[in-house]
Amino acid sequence: MTRYDLGIDEDLCWGCKTCEVACKTENGAPYGIKLIAVGEERPALPDGSLSFVFRLSRCRHCEVPDCMEACNFDAIEQRRDGIVVLDQAVCGGCEACVTACLYRAITFDRAERVAMKCNLCHHRIDQGLLPACADNVCQAHCIRLVGAAASPEGEIHDRV
Amino acid sequence: MTDFRHSNAPLEMEVYGYDRVVKSHCRGCHGGCGVLVYVKDGRVEKVTGDPDCPINHGTMCSKGLAAPRIAYHPDRLTHPVRRVGPKASGKWERITWDEALDTVAERILAYKEKHGAESVVMGYGTGRENEAAIYRFANYLGSPNVLTAGHFCYGPRIATTVITCGSNPIADYANNPACIMAWGNNITISNPDEYKGECFSQALNAGAKLIVVDPRLTRPAARADIWLQLRPGTDTALALGMLNVIVEEELYDHEFVANHVHGWEEFKARVAEYPVARTAEITWVPEEKIRAAARLFATTKPGVVQWGVAIEQQVTCADNNRALLALMGITGNIDVPGGQMLFRQPPIRNVSQFGAHKALPPEQAAKRLGGDHFRLAGNFGIINPKYVWDAILTEEPYPVKLLFFISSNPLMTRANAREVHVALEKVEFMAVADFFITPTAELADIVLPAATWLEMDYIGDFWKRHGWLLPRRKVIQVGECRSDHEMLNDLAHRVGQGEHWWDDFEQGLDWILEPSGITFQEFLKTDRLRGDVTYRKHEERGFSTPTGKFELYSTKLEEWGYDPLPQFREPPMGPVSRPDLAADFPYILITGARQPGFFHTENRQVPVLRELHPDPEVEIHPDAAAREGISQGDWVVIESPRGAIRQRAKLSEGLDPRVVSAQHAWWFPEKRDPGHGWDESNVNILIDNDYSNCDPAMGATSVRTLLCRIRPETDADRDRLAGVQS
Ligand code: SF4
Ligand code: SF4
Ligand code: SF4
Repeated sequence: MTRYDLGIDEDLCWGCKTCEVACKTENGAPYGIKLIAVGEERPALPDGSLSFVFRLSRCRHCEVPDCMEACNFDAIEQRRDGIVVLDQAVCGGCEACVTACLYRAITFDRAERVAMKCNLCHHRIDQGLLPACADNVCQAHCIRLVGAAASPEGEIHDRV
Repeated sequence: MTDFRHSNAPLEMEVYGYDRVVKSHCRGCHGGCGVLVYVKDGRVEKVTGDPDCPINHGTMCSKGLAAPRIAYHPDRLTHPVRRVGPKASGKWERITWDEALDTVAERILAYKEKHGAESVVMGYGTGRENEAAIYRFANYLGSPNVLTAGHFCYGPRIATTVITCGSNPIADYANNPACIMAWGNNITISNPDEYKGECFSQALNAGAKLIVVDPRLTRPAARADIWLQLRPGTDTALALGMLNVIVEEELYDHEFVANHVHGWEEFKARVAEYPVARTAEITWVPEEKIRAAARLFATTKPGVVQWGVAIEQQVTCADNNRALLALMGITGNIDVPGGQMLFRQPPIRNVSQFGAHKALPPEQAAKRLGGDHFRLAGNFGIINPKYVWDAILTEEPYPVKLLFFISSNPLMTRANAREVHVALEKVEFMAVADFFITPTAELADIVLPAATWLEMDYIGDFWKRHGWLLPRRKVIQVGECRSDHEMLNDLAHRVGQGEHWWDDFEQGLDWILEPSGITFQEFLKTDRLRGDVTYRKHEERGFSTPTGKFELYSTKLEEWGYDPLPQFREPPMGPVSRPDLAADFPYILITGARQPGFFHTENRQVPVLRELHPDPEVEIHPDAAAREGISQGDWVVIESPRGAIRQRAKLSEGLDPRVVSAQHAWWFPEKRDPGHGWDESNVNILIDNDYSNCDPAMGATSVRTLLCRIRPETDADRDRLAGVQS
C-alpha cells in the first residue's frame, strides 16, 4: 500500500522559504504559525570549520504517531495511506499533541485555541494534485511527495 | 538530472473551479520568472511558476507566490492623492488622474521655463521595467538628470562590460558550467538578474565545482569546494591576486590572450603588483586558498562568475567589475557554451533606442549633475544621488525644483538618509508613483497609484541580456492603478512631447517589436522569443569596443582620465584608512545581505512575507557579542559617526569576529504615523554619502563597508530611537 510523506533533501535546500509561503498561501495558517518551517543549523565540524545547513521542520506522518496517541479528543487520525490528519474542527485545545510530538511539528494557535500541523495537503492529494510545497515550487527541487508515482504531466496515478 | 514535477494546470482549474489561467511574467523582484496566474470571478486567486519557462522551470520565490496579496493589500493606494497638510502630515485628499497629471505637467513646464529642464529630476529605484520609459520622458524633456540606483546597481555592470567587451556576459547555465565562482552574490535568495537560483542549483546538481567569495557564511559558501572569506571591500585585490596566480602559472587561455585582448603587457605588469602574499595580507584570505581558487577556476572549463550588486556598492565598484571581467576573459570563458555568453536579443528596438538618449541635446547632456566628476557614470546617463540632494539644498550648480520618483523609496535606500530627508523636505515639488504611501511618498505633493505586474501588458525582460523576451499579460485592474508606462505616455502628451509617444501605450510596445515583424498582440500569442544564440562571435567580428579587442586595458577609462587598469583602493571608511575612527568604531559594518520575501523596501506590509523576518537583524560573531554583552535576539544599538539605529542581534559564527552585518531598507508600515519608523532601523542613516566615499568613475556610494560600534539597547535608547513602546 502507498504510504505518503514529504521527502526532503536538506542537503540541497537553500533556505529561500518559498515552501513556507507556498504552504501558507494554500492552507492559510495564521500569522506566526508555520506548518512547514525552515530553520538554520550551524554546527562546528570536527576539523574546526563550520557547517551551515537548513533543516525543515514539518510533520513526518509517523508510522506510529505519538500525537494521535496523546490526543484527548480523537482529533488526530491516521489514514490508510499513512497521512496523519489533525482535524481542527474536532481539536479541543488540550495541547497534548504539541508536547507528544518529538519533531515539534505541531503549533498551537493561541487565538483560536486549536492545534495545527501539516496534513500533507490531503485535500490536494485526494484530487490528484501534489501538496503545495512539493508542487515544483522549490528552486532546489528538494521537496517531493514520497509514495506517489508521478507522470511527466504531474498526475498522480497511485491514488488511494 | 533533476526530474521535474510539473504543476498540473488543467486539474488545478477543475479542482479549484478557476475561470482561467494566464501565462505571464513575474516582476516581484528585478524579474522575471514565467508564471501561471489563476483567476476566479475576476480575482487572482493563485500564482504558480510556469514549468515551461526557461528561466525558472516552474519554480518560484516567496515574493512571486505572494503577488496577489500585494496587489489586493488593504493599504494599497488605488487612486491618485494630493497632500493637503504639511509634508509628512499624512493628510491626503483623493483627486482624479486628470487633476494629478495636469498638476505634475504644469509644474514640470513651469520649472523648465524658469530654471531649465535640468531642474526637473526623474527617478526610479530597482525599477519595474519602467527604466527606458523614464529615460525617454526625461530625454525628450531635455533633462539630463535621471536619479536611479544605476550608480551602484547593475548600471556599473552595463557600463564596465560595454567598455571592456561590448556587452554584459551572462552565465550560460543552460549549458552546464563546470565551475561557478559566486562572487558577493547569493543567487538562491537574491535577485541575480537574467537567470535565477533554479538554474544555478541544477548546474551544481550536475556536478559543477563551486567557489564562493563572501564575507558571510551563506549556504552556498557552506556547500562550496572553496569559500574565500575576504575582508569586506577588498574584492579588487583578491581578484588581482587570483589573476596573478593565473598569469604566473600560465593557466590563462593563450589563444584568447594572443588574439583577442588589448593591453596584455600592461595588464601583466599590474597583476604582478599583487603577489599572493600581499593579496593575502590585504584580503585576510590565506595564500593557499587564493592559489587553490585561482587554479580551480582557471582549469575547470567552462567556468562562470556569478556576480551581483554587492561588489558594485563599493569605492572600487568599476574596478571590481573589471577585475572579474578579466578573470572571465583570460580564462577563455567569454562567449563559449556554458561560459559567459554575450547573448543577443531578437531584432527589436532596444532599451537604448526606446530610452531616446539621442534626443537629449548635447548642451543639456553637458549639464548632467556630476557628469564631469563621475565620468564613467556620466557617459551612461547615470548620476550620483548626493549631487541631487546638494542641488536642492545649495542650488549649486543650479537648483533642482522637482523630483518625480517612480517605484523608488530613496529615504530608505540611499546613503546618509538624514540628508535625503532634509532634501526631500525642502524640494519645492515632489511626485511619487508607487503601490503604497511609503516614507518617501509621505513627503510628496502628489502620489500616483502604480500597477503591479499583474495589472499590465508588457514585453518582459526587454532590458535584460539573456536574450529572452517573455509576454507579461494584464490579468486584473485594481482601483485606478496604472502602469508606469501608461502614466508616462499620458504625461508626455500633457507636457508637449506627445509626438514622440503614442495614442495608446500598446502602440509603443508594437514599436519596440516592429523590427521582429510582429505586433504586441501577435507577441502575446507566443510563449516567448529569443535572439539567435551564436558562440565565439569575437573570432569573426572582434569585440564591440574601440580597439575591437577585449579591453583588459580600457581605452575609454584612459580617455576619461582614469587608470585604465583595475587597482585596489582601501575602503575610505575602513580600519586601514581610518585607524583614528576605528578606535571608537571598532567593527567593520557590512550591509545589504538579502532576506527572502523582501525586495529592498518592499513587502514588509504583507503578512506571509513579513513573518519570514518580523524584525531587522544584525549578525554578529558570538565572541564579539560576548565582548559587547549582547545575547541572541537582543535589541542592540549600532552606531557610526553619522548616527545610531536599532536592530536585533543574530549571533553567527559565519562572520569574522571583526565584522558585523546589518540588514537594509527596514521601515515599519504597521506604524501608522507618517514616518512609519523610517529612521529607527534604517542602516543608511549610518552611511556616509560624501563623494570621497564613492567610486571615482562610477559614483557608486560605498554602502557595503563602513565602521561601527554596537552595544545592547537601553530603555533610553529605545525611547529615543523607536519612540516609547507599550
Ligand atoms: S523552497 Fe526548497 S530551497 Fe527553498 S527553503 Fe524550501 S526546501 Fe529549501
Ligand atoms: S505531528 Fe509529530 S508525532 Fe504526529 S505524525 Fe506528525 S511528526 Fe509524527
Ligand atoms: S525570483 Fe523574482 S521573478 Fe522569480 S518569482 Fe521571485 S519575485 Fe518573481
